[in-house]
Amino acid sequence: MLKIENLSKRFGHHLAVDNISLTVQQGEIYGFLGPNGAGKTTTIKMIAGLLQPDQGAIFINGASLAEQPLLCKQQTGYVPDRPWLYEKLTGMEFLQFIASLYGVAQERFRTAVTHYLTLFDLLDWQDHLIESYSHGMRQKLIMASVLMQDQPLLVIDEPMVGLDPKSARLVKEIFKQKARAGTTIFLSTHSLEIAEELCHRIGIIIEGRLRISGSMETLRAEAGRHDSGLEDIFLELTGAWELKEVIAALKANPAKPSEKQP
Amino acid sequence: MTPLFQPFLCGLRNRFFPGGRISSRTLLILAFGALLFAALYLVSLKTIFYFHSQNELGVILSLKIFEMAWMIVFTMLIFSSMVSGVSAVFLSHDNEIIFASPASLSELYLMRYLTTTFYTSWMMVIFSLPVFGAYGKIFEAGPIYLLILLPAVIAIAAIASGVGLAVTIILVRLFPARRTKDIVVYLSLLFGILLYFVIRLLRPEELADPERFPDFIEYLSRMSTPATPLLPPSWAADLLTGFLQDHSFDWLLAALLLLTPMVVYFAGEWAMSRMFFSGFSKAQESFGGSRRFQPRSYRPSPMLWFFRKELKMFIRDSSQWSQLFLIGALVVVYLYNFKVLPLERSPIPADAVANIIAYANIGLTGFIVASLCARFVYPAIGAEGSAFGLILTAPLSLRRYMLYKYLFYLIPFTVLAATLLAASNHLLRITGPMWWISLVTGLIITWTVLAMALGFGSMYANFKAENQAAVLGGFGAILFLFTAISFELLTILAAGIPAYRLVRSWRWGLHFSNPIMVQTVGTLLLIVLAGGLISLISLRKGVEKMADNFH
Repeated sequence: MLKIENLSKRFGHHLAVDNISLTVQQGEIYGFLGPNGAGKTTTIKMIAGLLQPDQGAIFINGASLAEQPLLCKQQTGYVPDRPWLYEKLTGMEFLQFIASLYGVAQERFRTAVTHYLTLFDLLDWQDHLIESYSHGMRQKLIMASVLMQDQPLLVIDEPMVGLDPKSARLVKEIFKQKARAGTTIFLSTHSLEIAEELCHRIGIIIEGRLRISGSMETLRAEAGRHDSGLEDIFLELTGAWELKEVIAALKANPAKPSEKQP
Repeated sequence: MTPLFQPFLCGLRNRFFPGGRISSRTLLILAFGALLFAALYLVSLKTIFYFHSQNELGVILSLKIFEMAWMIVFTMLIFSSMVSGVSAVFLSHDNEIIFASPASLSELYLMRYLTTTFYTSWMMVIFSLPVFGAYGKIFEAGPIYLLILLPAVIAIAAIASGVGLAVTIILVRLFPARRTKDIVVYLSLLFGILLYFVIRLLRPEELADPERFPDFIEYLSRMSTPATPLLPPSWAADLLTGFLQDHSFDWLLAALLLLTPMVVYFAGEWAMSRMFFSGFSKAQESFGGSRRFQPRSYRPSPMLWFFRKELKMFIRDSSQWSQLFLIGALVVVYLYNFKVLPLERSPIPADAVANIIAYANIGLTGFIVASLCARFVYPAIGAEGSAFGLILTAPLSLRRYMLYKYLFYLIPFTVLAATLLAASNHLLRITGPMWWISLVTGLIITWTVLAMALGFGSMYANFKAENQAAVLGGFGAILFLFTAISFELLTILAAGIPAYRLVRSWRWGLHFSNPIMVQTVGTLLLIVLAGGLISLISLRKGVEKMADNFH
């Protein structure tokens, strides 16, 4: 469903994404992990058609993003890490605008919008201006605007930012259900717990290079930690293992109250 | 110095001296600024020389214009500070960091005051110097004049900014408006009323007409006395006029100019210390929170929804539609001028003068269209803000997006230009070919300038600007205005000779000869071709650049 070949992106002298190749199958949830500034969002923006790669190619459902951008965008639902919205539209107007951009049929729109607005507790807010929404409500609205289209590929940057526990649980269940129904999901997250619970395969990107990609078993074998969770594997593979010792030392010797205040 | 200035200073350094070196962009801006400075100086020199060389009345008239210029500079600076003040003091995103920190309100006010003064008045200060400086040259006032002029301009900017900010702080406290931006409506209206009073106080129409006065002495006395002796611009004008005429220096006026900025500053700081918190709290309340809007049924048409989105965003943003009042006032005053033109007192036949004015009116209408495009169309792409990402990820090509944007603005601008041209032609009692020449040329200019505004607006789009009105002072906006006005002037020059021949034949009751018709049609085709080509190039360049600006 999603195929990335030798993808590279450079900003000035900084190589943000360095020769990444990967494939995500239909119905698969692929987790994209990495430390801050590793190149996750840059990669995701290239898949969503927001950034032009310097090298390499992206194929969505067999179509080249560079050659058939509109066809690829039609099949891709993108949720950014910060919700992009028109503050002066109401939630419903925003959904109608997005639906018209993607050519969602009237009947589908009616049923899907009611379904997702109800799920996300936004039904009472649908006719209020977005500028009055909280951060979580905005995130849920943009999630609804993507989910209502039922596209075959979802590209999601930090899906749980700003969501309350109930909504986060809901989103996880929706993702699982969508994947079972054949939707491919490519998501980046800092929450290792979410990645471990949701993803069929995980890729870890460090300094622009895909350090490893595979199932939890593959990752465990690579890290040489056969009984560990994703957090330990992540720290091992990102070379931040010494952090574990620092955290353990902090836990063992917490700062005294007199040391906290100047 | 308070650390609150650091973001401002670092921002300036990073913008103009990236990597500690002067950038080529900075050099280009400096060169362009120097060119404009020199051009303003030369034009001012020529104009003032013209007045000055007439007779004693000419000298008085040139000094009256000097006073009016000070008044206009002051008023514009106050309005500009008030508009920027709402954004800078109450709506700025960094308020959340700064107000949550232990920085005092006086530090915050000092930072807002100095940065707002800088942003609102740097251009006015720099470009008023060649105009006022030219007076020094004509009146042979010597270099000391310049030493008085510079502090006077800075003092006027400081007073205007202080007054603007203080009034803004008080207004935000006084008006219990949930929408802080609505205050801009009051500010705009206030500015309109203020400008009206200033113009009425100066009575400009009487200046050009000594016959309206019972005797010449009274006219001279009216011209020589300051119109508004209590206002700071009159102090600056009088101080400099005294020096220009007989090298006298009024210490009282100098002291007033020096002390008033401090008084105004402390008054603003006092208002800030008492009123800022409640105003800032109100500014964070949402306007739409309690209001429910009427839903509409969904029809899958991208263009329809695009237009609907643009319209709703315009109508629901008071900072946008409030300016329609000013446009309304502008149109009324504009047309009124045509109504009161004393054509019958002209030494050449009235219909010939009317035709000449109608032709010149194409340029005036074009200028209004260019100004309105700069205000509404140029920032339209950047105003999408981060939501532009939605457009980029949607299956909508940027060419189509640009086309929708163009079509959205095409209708109101066509109506406006056609109304201005048709109404002024009607008031001038124009009949015959000039009617069509002005309408067709005016509309071609309008459509081209509109495309240029969108093109330049895309090429220099700032999706991260907190206040899109601030974008208007940027390099791209100035370049757009410069290019648009150049195109207008060239078009009017190119069409001048065929228009003249056509109107002359018509006035003399002659048939339009073949050479005249060929020249007319040829020029029209040339203008249409040039306009179309410029429009296409502007829009295409805009499409190429807009996505890059987003990242």
